[in-house]
Parts: sequence; structure tokens; C-alpha cells
Amino acid sequence: MRTVGAGAGFAGDRIDPAVALATSGLCDAVVLECLAERTLVAALRARRADSDAGADPRLRRRLTPLLGPARRSGSRIISNLGAANPAAAARAIVALARELGLSGLRVAAVVGDDVLPLAAEIAWTEKIEGTLLGAHAYLGADALAPAIEAGADVIVTGRTADSALFAAEIVPILDGRETALAGALTVGHLLECGGQVSGGNFEGPDGESLSAAALASLGYPLATVRPDGSAELFLLEGAPGRLDRLTATLQLLYEVHDPARYITPDLILDFTGIRIEETGRNRVRVSGAAAQGRPEALKVSGFVERPGMIADVEIGFAGTGAEARARLAADVLRHRLADLPEEDVRIDLVGIDSILAGRNAGNAGLAECRVHVSARCPDAEAAQAIEDEVYALTLSGPAGGAGLRSERRPRLDVVDGLIDRARVTPSLVWETVP
Amino acid sequence: MRVGALAVGRSGDKGSVLDLTLVARDEAAYARLARAITAEVAQRALEGVCPGTVIRYECPGLLALKFVVAGALPGGVYASLRAGMHWQKAAIWALLDLEIE
Repeated sequence: MRTVGAGAGFAGDRIDPAVALATSGLCDAVVLECLAERTLVAALRARRADSDAGADPRLRRRLTPLLGPARRSGSRIISNLGAANPAAAARAIVALARELGLSGLRVAAVVGDDVLPLAAEIAWTEKIEGTLLGAHAYLGADALAPAIEAGADVIVTGRTADSALFAAEIVPILDGRETALAGALTVGHLLECGGQVSGGNFEGPDGESLSAAALASLGYPLATVRPDGSAELFLLEGAPGRLDRLTATLQLLYEVHDPARYITPDLILDFTGIRIEETGRNRVRVSGAAAQGRPEALKVSGFVERPGMIADVEIGFAGTGAEARARLAADVLRHRLADLPEEDVRIDLVGIDSILAGRNAGNAGLAECRVHVSARCPDAEAAQAIEDEVYALTLSGPAGGAGLRSERRPRLDVVDGLIDRARVTPSLVWETVP
Repeated sequence: MRVGALAVGRSGDKGSVLDLTLVARDEAAYARLARAITAEVAQRALEGVCPGTVIRYECPGLLALKFVVAGALPGGVYASLRAGMHWQKAAIWALLDLEIE
């Protein structure tokens, strides 16, 4: 059996859950999933400015309290904190470990996900309109296997399928059948979003949620996997959370599209025969994963920089008639911004229709209401003009325009593609603390 | 009855695809949801919220329904003109707030 814990589900996730898992002594590996597309794009931009940069900027903050406890309990750390530069991340980890006095610590960086040099061979699902900043293939568990075999204390990757980060630790004890690997990848998929499987981002069918205190110290999940790929998911003793059929099934199906064909680099998974049984308090048994072979092509994420920026501006209103004045302000802006192409501007009311277009009405009598404008702008001057139009409402708009804010975002499209897996050749870079 | 009284839900994305999941509280609720929330019904619930055609997947073994909308997030989450980031994480309420027989 092998036990893996989920210490983080995104780049900005809490630090303490991973420390708790490492300290428990129950985990063969603590896995930190820290690489959303936005994180990778920021890393690519950093690497463009400095070839030694491009690892996750939170690496030190995240690993400083974790490396010592993980070493003491014999838990391997596996993470995609390498972002756009896994080799630089390995060097940074070794430097940190040296400061922490962890001599002999061995770090393996998995490289080879960056397929920008092979851009001509990528079949994109959409036309690339703009500058291709980066193209990264999703690596599978096989890319991590040599590092596991060689006994790395820390494995740091760039773009890897989240499920593969977990499955890589489990593969050595599997019975070799395809369904066993399918089970290990399923466990990885269930754990990859951390607290989202154990009561976070969850409301029960009677509207129930965990308390603020429980959510503030939410237990992150771990799983013990058997050679046949079946597993028990559970929380550390005393950790608050909710891990049951409903929370586990929601996470199982999260962002998978067709549940009979969830495509990962290692296998095309079939979740339709999975059984999730509640075997105790905050404990479920998961079994029955199947697969339909290995995909011939690997998915590639392409990051396309487009000229200009998005200006995102808000102004608030409060007190009696706040909503009416906000609606009036929005109409003023529709007049003032009438010259812009309709598809490049969005004006809505935060509190009324900014998220779901007002599908769920019944918000009459708001005490506060905000007008939001986002506009695609060709340059900074145009963005300034949008911001000025909103700010001008404080003098020339409805009464009491207040609480203004604005930000400018670079324009970025994420485009998916496929690449022949034979063209992607991951390898390892080792660093060791003297 | 409100869908949210019969099921839990969550929404997410991959690239430009919106991905919605409902998990029923029991078998009777699943049968009711599967009967009521066809792809067309979900499509109407998302009208004005996002573009794209809804495809439905049934998972009777898991008492779950999935609704997938290709092209709902043109250019991906970062290209959105909505207030702030990640509006799609609230999209499931378009289904949870439906009233069904």
C-alpha cells in the first residue's frame, strides 16, 4: 500500500495543510499542486526577463516550513512548483535545504514539458491570434518514474497532469493491470484540488456548509492505495472537514467533461463504473476505475499574448436608491462608451447581474451596488480613457459615486493543442545538498 | 422543487469549455433530475450567461449528471470581460436555482 497526501490545490493555497500532512508521518509523499495557467504565464514572463527565473515565486515560503518535517517523517515532496523553470526550482530548493541544514537532500527536476520549439508540430484547436508566449505539454506519471525509482527526496516539475503527480508515487506498488493504474490516476484526480474534496467549495442539498472555524482549518485529504488501484480517502485524525459520497463524487467529476473518457497523459479514464462507499466518518472507499488505453497525443496549453490590455473598473453607490443610481451610472457609461465595439465592452452591476447575467433575480433593495466596466483596449492610453470615464462619474454622474477601483490586465488567450507523444522527451536534472 | 434541494453541484472549466456537475442526494432525486434537466433545459438556463451548446452526460452509477458547454469561455478564463476572474465557478447556480417538477 502507498499513502499520498494533498498539500496544496493551487499556487496560492494555504501553507499549513502540507505541513500537517508531512508531520503526521502517514504519507509516503505529500503532493503540492501549484500550477494554474495564470501561474505558468507569470513564470514564463519572469523567465523571459531572466533566464534563471521562472520557478514559482512562492517556493521559499511554501517549502521553508515543510522540508524539515518531510525529511524527518520520510515523506517525499512532489510538486509542479518548477513552473516555467524546474531546473532553477531544484537549485533554489537545494539552496533552501542547505540553509535549513538538510544535508544530503536529493532533488530531481523533471524537464521537457516546454514544447515551444516544437510549435510548428502542434495541432491547435483554435487559430493562434497574437504572439505565442509559451507552449507546454502535459507530462504523465512516466516522466516522474525514474526520479521515484532513484529515491528523490523532492521531485519538482513544470507542466504535468495533476493526477500524474500523485499517481507517480503509487505506480511502483501497483499490480501492473491497466485498471490499477486507472485507480491511481483517479486518486490523483480526487486529491488534486486539496480541500475541495473534503468540504471546501461545497454546499449540501439542504444548504448546509461547514462552519467558519472548520473551513478556516480545513483538513486536506490523503489516500491509501492498494495494488489493485482501489483506495481509501480520509482526513487526519481530528481535522475538520466533510469527506463523503457527495463531496467525493463532485470532485471525481470536476472538470472531466465526458466521464467515460477523461483524457490524461497516462490513460483515458472511464469513471462511469466507479463506486464511492462511505466507510467511516470522513472516510470513503473508491474502486472500479477503468480505462480505454493511452492517448496517442499529449495535450498542450498554448499561451497567446494579444496586443493591448483589459481595463477593469468599478464605482460603488450606497444608501437609499443605491441600485437606481448604479443603474443610472451604467446608462451614462453606455452613452459615453457608445463608440467602442460592442463585443469589446461589458457593463454590469455587481450585486445584480455581473456573474450570471441576473438569471437569479430577487435582489431588490440592495444597500450597496457597484457598476462594473471591462473593456478591451488597444493601449494604455485607451485604458486610461475608460478609467477616466468611470472616475468622471464622481463629478458628473449620479449622486454619491464612491469606492472606485481599477486594474489593467494584459490580454491573454489560452489555446489547447495536441502533440505526438513521441516528440515529447522528458528527462531529469539532479541537484543534491552537500 | 428547487434543484439545489435534490442535488449538490459544482462548475469549472478547461480552456474555453464550461463544465457543470450535479450529484443527486439519492436515487429518487437522480431519476427526477435526469427526467427534468435535459440538455435543452440546461441550455435555456444558461441563455444570456454564456454562448455554446450544452451536451449532457448521464452517470447513473454515481447518481450524477454532467453538462458541458464548448466555447462558453472564448479565449479561456483570462480573456473574460466580467468583473474579476473565474465567473464560471458560480455558473452551477444557473442549474441549482431551477425549479423542476
